[in-house]
Amino acid sequence: MSFIATLIGTVAFAIVAPILGCLLAGLDRIISARMQGRVGPPLLQPYYDVRKLLAKDNVSVSGVDGVYMTAALVFTAFAGGIFFSGGNLLMSAFVITMAGLFFIMAAYSSRSPYAELGAGRETVQVMAYEPMVLLMAVCFYMAAGTFNAGGVFSLNAPVILYTIPAFVGFLFILTIKLRKSPFDLSTSHHAHQELVRGTTTEMSGKTLAKVEVMHWCETVLFLGWTGMFFVWAGPVSLILGIIVALAAWFFEIWIDNNFARVKWQAMLRSAWAVALVCGGINIIVLMFM
Amino acid sequence: MQLIGFLILFPLVVAALLLLVRGDGLRNAIVWISAVVIAAGSIMLAVQYLGAAWTGFVFSSQAIDLVACAIGVAISAVVIGFGVKYKNYLAVGLAIVQLVGDLIFEFGFAHGTHVEVGLYIDPLSVVMALIIGIIGSGICVYALGYMVDFQKHLDEHGEGLTDLQRKDRRPTFFSLMFLFLSAMFVIVFSNNMIWMFTGWEITTVCSFLLIAYTRTDEAVRNAFRQIIMNMLGGIAFLAALYFAVLNAGTLSFQDFILFGLGSPWLVAVPVCLLAFAGLTKAAQMPFHTWLLGAMVAPTPTSALLHSSTMVKAGVFLLIKLAPLFAVCMVPAQMVILVGGLTFMLCSFMAISQTNAKRVLAYSTIANLGLITACAGVATPEAIWAAILLVIFHAAAKSLLFLCVGTAEHHIGSRDIEDMDLLFERMPKLARLMMIGIMCMFIAPFGMLIAKWATLVSFVDSRQMALVLLLAFGSAATFMFWGKWLGKLAGIAGSPENVELDVHPSEWISIALMAALALIACLALPIMSKMLVEPYITSVFMQLGSDISVDNLWITSILAAFVFVVMFAGNRDSKAKRADVYLAGVSVDSDGRVYRNSLSGETTATSRNLYLDSIFGEGIVRRPGEILCAAIIIVAIIASGFVPPVL
Repeated sequence: MSFIATLIGTVAFAIVAPILGCLLAGLDRIISARMQGRVGPPLLQPYYDVRKLLAKDNVSVSGVDGVYMTAALVFTAFAGGIFFSGGNLLMSAFVITMAGLFFIMAAYSSRSPYAELGAGRETVQVMAYEPMVLLMAVCFYMAAGTFNAGGVFSLNAPVILYTIPAFVGFLFILTIKLRKSPFDLSTSHHAHQELVRGTTTEMSGKTLAKVEVMHWCETVLFLGWTGMFFVWAGPVSLILGIIVALAAWFFEIWIDNNFARVKWQAMLRSAWAVALVCGGINIIVLMFM
Repeated sequence: MQLIGFLILFPLVVAALLLLVRGDGLRNAIVWISAVVIAAGSIMLAVQYLGAAWTGFVFSSQAIDLVACAIGVAISAVVIGFGVKYKNYLAVGLAIVQLVGDLIFEFGFAHGTHVEVGLYIDPLSVVMALIIGIIGSGICVYALGYMVDFQKHLDEHGEGLTDLQRKDRRPTFFSLMFLFLSAMFVIVFSNNMIWMFTGWEITTVCSFLLIAYTRTDEAVRNAFRQIIMNMLGGIAFLAALYFAVLNAGTLSFQDFILFGLGSPWLVAVPVCLLAFAGLTKAAQMPFHTWLLGAMVAPTPTSALLHSSTMVKAGVFLLIKLAPLFAVCMVPAQMVILVGGLTFMLCSFMAISQTNAKRVLAYSTIANLGLITACAGVATPEAIWAAILLVIFHAAAKSLLFLCVGTAEHHIGSRDIEDMDLLFERMPKLARLMMIGIMCMFIAPFGMLIAKWATLVSFVDSRQMALVLLLAFGSAATFMFWGKWLGKLAGIAGSPENVELDVHPSEWISIALMAALALIACLALPIMSKMLVEPYITSVFMQLGSDISVDNLWITSILAAFVFVVMFAGNRDSKAKRADVYLAGVSVDSDGRVYRNSLSGETTATSRNLYLDSIFGEGIVRRPGEILCAAIIIVAIIASGFVPPVL
């Protein structure tokens, strides 16, 4: 019964993903530091940061952002649960968008000009990556014959053999989804001023901690999507999936450290062009196969 | 059968009655009672025929045929009268063409063609009857309170207007609303295509009169645009009737479809013409401007046109024609391409709009485009999605229009930028509006499930272009809904609550729409099984098999969660309140005023992104219109020559 499986998966994801995501975030900071010739913080630094945030006073401008962020977290957990229990890829993509929407509402609720600006940019970001996510799912469906992520285990060959263009396009928008430079427009991890802080300008304490945890979970989920392309029958292929996902993640860190932030116009145009070319070509090819 | 007759005739009687009533009290009583009666009638009908397959009723009468013809003449006369008065000779010309065509058809051409089974009911007409009966009459109730405010505003601020424009024309207004409902019932229950055509034309002329309600120059101009576009569709419908008699020898809609399935090459032209009529009524590009122009009318009119009547008649006809689209390639491609393009381009244009009603109008057109494209694809999944889209759109869009109408009367603007702080100023209304917006575009609500089924059916039927149009179009919908939602979500201090004097009738109908949207989302699996699937099985003999019931239940649980978040006191009262950070010392945090570097006071302002340079009407509209018009023209010409199935 996939319904029960989804619920179990959601609970499991809600426990495991923050731990994995936290470790990845710690590694991210160490790798970034090494790329910049620094030593970097301890591996568990993201955990220490969040623990500190949780202990902070409960201060808020609007009083509702905490509730919206909780909703965003719950939706993230559901999206992860749906995907990792082998459920529907499209559904997972839609539900994670819902989480993004609550994040946007949390930002808007403060009425801070900086947060509103960031939230506006976040809507542009979603608009930029959404077509490619959909086309990626369509290509997956055409190659695997199902939208169910669990369907890969009954394939004779990994989906990637038929979906290289779509995978490349997905890697492109993965940078937006992971909030990495050059596409960290709405809120950046390397914020030096309010405009760059954007959506999270007015968030503090527990609310900000929720944003961090949500980001950890999202990272795990998106890397799961990445790995899915390389998995087929047999558990050994799972290892290949994990290796590729980690490689993609390392690649994103490298991009993050080597490219300057672009304007939203450039992001929107490039992301849509990539979606049109990569997604379009891939779908045409799959149609004639 | 008696129930069907009642649903068609009762609103007619009410309409006649309302024309005579001038007092508010009596009108309120009549509208309330008849709205409840009509809603109850349609529910009874639904219960009686739940899940039943196509059932025809032997019913024909020479008298009714003559009445239908007389109505056709009257409609043409109304249009000619207005056309002469306002010197719009294009409308007069079209009306004369239609009048002549009508008379020749009735007394010469089709005189011998007789339809035994005049009325019918099938699961699709049950769904439509529920939408018309519940949502349509709910909007009539809403109009009671709204029109009081509307007339008051005219009386108080109408200095610059002529007497004609200031006149209290409410009896006509309410009468037309009910006439509209009756005509819609005629369309969804008539198997006799002449009767259906009559209902079709009544809705056209009703919306003409409703749009022109205020008699301002703009209203009259837009009303004429509406009537010209829809009369083109009407004439196409009439021409299709000629072909139906000529090629198929029948005017029974059911027989026509059955005949077409057997000999597609004989019906390609009439199907194309009927589809054209459907496209004009469903406001597809290049005919979308009439629906945009229609928003000059009082808000209940827009709500009625957008959610339960008029445009829904257009998509109803297209969905009915779906089995023929499956066998006739040319009209199917026309409908698919026009629908898909309209969905994407109108979603783009919605991004650049600040006027809330215009955003709603563009989103309606876009959604109708999606439904249209689904009808053209004509697989069981696509039709399943199309019907669900019709249902969700009706509930959510009427909710949104009613909310915007009420907000407009209380904050004095329909600009989204002015809806700042609505969450505090009109707390209940803002939450309902947010629910409406979410229902329109985001998981886990039904609209999205329908979109998903659409996507699956597009992929399965190898409609490559449609997949791309859908992918980019729905990304745009996120943008324009998301920023509106954000604007509503803003909270600062405790501004004055201005929703205390909203009319109870407005609250009740808004609550009704919200409840319907809610039920539709939460009970999605049940609704799909009881209302939609019977139609699919009755037409296609099989069900589409893509979306498992488990997924439907997951969405319905998530939807419930969202409702809880939105309504269960989502304010954290324990949180210490802080001033908003403005890069300077705050003077007034709620007003976003801060002390600037010269010790003066500066107010921070921010606007949403409207991306006019990319998605502005000036950029998108013209190419879209030309493209769609070209597709339609080529298709209509080609339908005469190209074999139906390649």
